[in-house]
Amino acid sequence: MPLIRRGGGRSPPVEDNGSDPERLLRDGTSDQRWAAARSLAGQPQAVDALGGALSTESDARVREAILTGLARIGTPASAEAIVPLIRSEKADVRTAALDALRLMPRALEAHLTTLLKDAEPDVRVLACDLARELPPPVATRLLCALLAHDAEANACAAAVEVLAECGEASALQALAACAERFADVPFLVFSANIASERIRAQAPARDG
Amino acid sequence: MADAAPVTEDELRRLSEFLYRRTGMVFTESKRYYVQRRVSDRMAVTGATSFASYFARLRSDIAGEIEQFINAFTVNETYFYREEHQLQCLTRDLLAERTRRRPRSDAIRIWSVPCSTGEEPYSIALWLLENWAQVDAYDIEIVGSDIDTRVLGAAAGGVFGRRALMRLTPDLVGRYFEPLEDEHWRILQDIRDSVRFTPINLVETAETRTQGKFDVIFCRNVLIYFDDASRRVAAENLYENLAPGGFICLGHTESMSRISPLFDVRRFNDAIVYQRPERPHG
Repeated sequence: MPLIRRGGGRSPPVEDNGSDPERLLRDGTSDQRWAAARSLAGQPQAVDALGGALSTESDARVREAILTGLARIGTPASAEAIVPLIRSEKADVRTAALDALRLMPRALEAHLTTLLKDAEPDVRVLACDLARELPPPVATRLLCALLAHDAEANACAAAVEVLAECGEASALQALAACAERFADVPFLVFSANIASERIRAQAPARDG
Repeated sequence: MADAAPVTEDELRRLSEFLYRRTGMVFTESKRYYVQRRVSDRMAVTGATSFASYFARLRSDIAGEIEQFINAFTVNETYFYREEHQLQCLTRDLLAERTRRRPRSDAIRIWSVPCSTGEEPYSIALWLLENWAQVDAYDIEIVGSDIDTRVLGAAAGGVFGRRALMRLTPDLVGRYFEPLEDEHWRILQDIRDSVRFTPINLVETAETRTQGKFDVIFCRNVLIYFDDASRRVAAENLYENLAPGGFICLGHTESMSRISPLFDVRRFNDAIVYQRPERPHG
């Protein structure tokens, strides 16, 4: 009846592939690069090695391990290594970068002010979505600053959408001003009004 | 239980951070009662008179307190043949794929993590004996692992109460268990010898790597206790522990697709499972 015969089974441990992970991360096979990225995960001194590899890595699996490693480090420097990927033309690369940045909200905050002023509207839209991960007072402050000046309706709409979820009462004035500034963009006026209503409805609960 | 003073917001945060760093499990303000109860229990057992003295003991790991503390926070209630549809899938589809191009007498490795008090790995053993025609053709190694070292001892002992056996037919209980006193039964020695139990922290890569590669992993209802960052680390660890083409079964409310893109989704008649690709995605 025993399922295993005497002497059977017992697989060898999973190998970590050597003692020089930084070199293997640059020059190894994809299996070695994967293992190297995982060995360096969470080590603040490995930000440069992981960030450098991230910019050239073409294997999605290895890229995923590098992103996890940088997210575990969770410093502004490790976030900085990831930020350029949100400009990638490849949707899967952008998504992977955004997922990693969402894991490190404290480190992200240092970069969002800049990203929310980026010359590229698509980057500002993505940055608005990332602001969702920040504490509500911080997200409200940053998104209201965008609402005050951004000329792109889609970027403002992205900010309004996030404010509708986590905005504080201090956003009401910026939302009203945004609706006025984009009076000829009906969907944005509608969205701003909805967001204001939600914030007013939720304010007593949040304050309580 | 001792009536320790309620933990303050700051104390709860410090405890939660400590637990998170050690295990990846997240306990927020909404779990205050759960945390309070366990801290009070541990303070009573250790004789600590204040939170500060208990936390100092914990951080210094006096008398192995870290392990005891983690054990107090794990959830261990389960029963035999839970989520039977996945066991159906195991014998109808997963093992058929895993053995298609392998010689008979090869080793098939199955990992139950977390295994709690052993119901799941022993269920796998019973299920294979009852439902897989090729059970005698292969060496089948079943490993049960858990972060809670308390339950591993109970798992190895193989004694279960009526509730744990409620999904088994009287015939199965009669053939695979010996009755003890007080409505308890012990699973037969041959079955106990078929499962190896090991302590494992799923977010510690150095620990998971020691377990080697598996054909099928059952990892049910544990990732829900982790935050997003720890879930990703655990998913990458599990990926490493799967042989190329190997399968992982999660709990019915869990989805690997929301955690990591490393796995392929496979839809079988009895279950949706996740597969490590034979070759990495490009």
